[in-house]
Amino acid sequence: MSYPEVLGELGSRALMLGNVAVARACLEHGVGFASGYPGTPSSEVIEALAYAASRLGYPYVEWSVNEKVAFEAAYGSAMAGVPSIVTMKHVGLNVASDPLFSSAYTGVEASFLIVSADDPGMWSSQNEQDNRWYGVHAYIPVFEPAGAQEARESTLEALKFSENMKHPVILRSTTRVSHTRAPVTLGALARPRLSGVFTKDVSRWNIVPMHARKLKEELLSRWERMEEMLSENPINTVEGPEDSKILVVGVGLGYRYARESLFKLKALNSVRLLKIVTSIPPPRKLLLRESEGRSAIVVVEEGDPVFETLLKSILYEEDVRVKVYGKASRHLKKSGELKADAVTKALASILGLNYSPETPINPPITPPPRPPVLCPGCPYRSVFYALRRAVKMSKMEAIYSGDIGCYSLGLNPPFNVQDTLIEMGGGIGLANGLAHVVKDKVIVATIGDSTFFHAGLPEIVNSIYNGAPMIVLVLDNGTTAMTGHQPHPGSGRDALGREARKLVIEDVVKGLGVSRVSVANSFNAREVEAKIREAIRDVVYEGETHVVVARGACILDAVRRASSLKVKRPIYIVDSDKCRACGICYKAFNCPAIMPGEDGRVSINASLCVGCGVCEQVCPFNAIRVLEPGDPEWGRILGMEL
Amino acid sequence: MRGSLNIIVGGVGGQGILSLARVLGEAAVLDGLEALVAETHGLSQRGGSVIVHVRIGENIEAPLIPMGEADIMISMEAMETLRNIGYMRRKGVIVSDTLIIPPSIPGVKPLKLEDIVEAVKSAGLEAHFLSASEEAKKLGDSRVANIILLGYAYRVSHIKDFISPRSLMKSVETLPGRDLNLKALTLYATLD
Repeated sequence: MSYPEVLGELGSRALMLGNVAVARACLEHGVGFASGYPGTPSSEVIEALAYAASRLGYPYVEWSVNEKVAFEAAYGSAMAGVPSIVTMKHVGLNVASDPLFSSAYTGVEASFLIVSADDPGMWSSQNEQDNRWYGVHAYIPVFEPAGAQEARESTLEALKFSENMKHPVILRSTTRVSHTRAPVTLGALARPRLSGVFTKDVSRWNIVPMHARKLKEELLSRWERMEEMLSENPINTVEGPEDSKILVVGVGLGYRYARESLFKLKALNSVRLLKIVTSIPPPRKLLLRESEGRSAIVVVEEGDPVFETLLKSILYEEDVRVKVYGKASRHLKKSGELKADAVTKALASILGLNYSPETPINPPITPPPRPPVLCPGCPYRSVFYALRRAVKMSKMEAIYSGDIGCYSLGLNPPFNVQDTLIEMGGGIGLANGLAHVVKDKVIVATIGDSTFFHAGLPEIVNSIYNGAPMIVLVLDNGTTAMTGHQPHPGSGRDALGREARKLVIEDVVKGLGVSRVSVANSFNAREVEAKIREAIRDVVYEGETHVVVARGACILDAVRRASSLKVKRPIYIVDSDKCRACGICYKAFNCPAIMPGEDGRVSINASLCVGCGVCEQVCPFNAIRVLEPGDPEWGRILGMEL
Repeated sequence: MRGSLNIIVGGVGGQGILSLARVLGEAAVLDGLEALVAETHGLSQRGGSVIVHVRIGENIEAPLIPMGEADIMISMEAMETLRNIGYMRRKGVIVSDTLIIPPSIPGVKPLKLEDIVEAVKSAGLEAHFLSASEEAKKLGDSRVANIILLGYAYRVSHIKDFISPRSLMKSVETLPGRDLNLKALTLYATLD
């Protein structure tokens, strides 16, 4: 990916994603170390920094193997005095939560910013957890930008605050901040500190109980100091008349929705509006001053009513009686992302103003749903097709313990090969339990290559050690496809696109103590089916875990590579005389490039077909054939040999 | 031009919807306007419905356009046009490709174009359907369909009251395949 805007000139105004604005601020502050694990909506921060690093020669940027390692790496760097950031999606912070808590105890020696991108509305996530609770829970301040320009400013302020307090800070973004482009005015780039000095201090860096008890007391007093300092930070602002009876508090992006709603209700000049960036710990003095003389306070925030709860607690402690409206009062919903019309409606009802929203046009007919699907030519399609066949031909029933990646789409018909999908690495993990208690079915755990390195290794070890026989199907397409093709330890390149040590999955698996390991070409459905059948025999008759590595390039990568290497892809057509309208190619194999006609006989849509050639293998009547052969290199690209 | 403009850009993942929306946003910034472009990333980019909210002008704060408040829709697929129609103001302008991409679900039947056109027009909107994908192929690359639609929308809607032709061209120039995109833009926006 290309992010020229992250290196825009001082003083220029550039349209950029919130995530890219965070990256820009890191370059302006002089961050020397950045690590992360890809996850929507967080990934562009590291991508933009990697883009900058490949041109400037700094900062150090890496895609780490998972969020925990990414966190620890940045934490270690900040211990040694190098300004550091770590980025991840909200659920990634669960993976990194162990060191997160410790980092507050020890503090750091330079800026340490934890960028957490939350996903209210669950656009691409399994939950909508609000990571501001982590701030409360772990004693780590949280900054919340309201948009791309504020993402730059909040990041700079958070990095500065972290540096001054020698304490980690969380920057909490949400989908609509991370993935909305807005104009950002740029500041000057700074030369980062790239090398650090680790000062040995066992009583600080070694948190055995004896040291941790003392560090906890220090943490609590540091927390009080931070609360005091953030109470008057000018990054939180107020507007509107001082004598307004009502105070609206917009937290992070909530401020934008509140402000637009007040404008729409023509109440911008009659209502006091407080914009909160430093939500944890809440700016106590500012809140008390602004609550004085009000009859009601309305809190607008994305996610859980975190700020609302903390505000109520402060008002209670100080014996201030004022009605607080928000999500707890059910004026706004606790689920989903904020929506402008819902915020306007809530504010109108609390302020006693008239608001009649537009009635949306309701057409007489509705289009069918269009869920995301595996791309035409996706290697997972042939693997899932082969998997279904292998299980059926073995006269077995299977439980498909799935995982997170493009292959999650296997949950849909006709494949139905993702019976569970819980969290990264959860597929093999759950299989470790299922294999012991469900004896009449074969357990098939599916995992992608990036997820395998992220969280699959300990789970495979557990399956061998504790004797939980299962098939582990590793889908290796050489990349972290779903989040935008980031590299991983099996890709052979690093975050900056340079050549890197390549870990071979089957070698890793053998090293973990798995004795039954096979490798198949994903684009060869028969080969995949044969290996899976062999694996089923190992599991069922011998009680042995068998790992099948199905290897085939992400088709989006393969097509790009073929274009750049000027490799010709083959063109396939259907012989309509031979087609018997059986439907296997579009129903069971489900390729979106194959279209049935009125009589059920099919044709190939040339603009969608990429030439993977698997339909030729699955057609029982040899009705699909090559019209124009491709270059031999195409097969090597698909097989990830080129 | 004072005021603001809300534009829904929709279609199917992989059609170049994000690029089209970004071109609009960047052109607005070149003209010194405020702009917000709220994108869809991640899972839905794999052949699912994709919608981008573009807002330009004054007093725009929130990234999402409320239902019933979009002034313009630029849509790259006809069923998606109908799916997103709830965002439109009753006096809005729709510019849509006639293209129909059937969802890849076994047994699902796509709607017919004439039914979609009728449903859209019965809502009383100003709707322009053109076969942009076909026109794009004639120009030499099906990928310029997005810029053909953008150009057409520029000509028939209020976008031209906010964004200057110069900024729009400058913004389109940043796309890969610069010459063909510029050709498509000037042809369909009739900029010469």
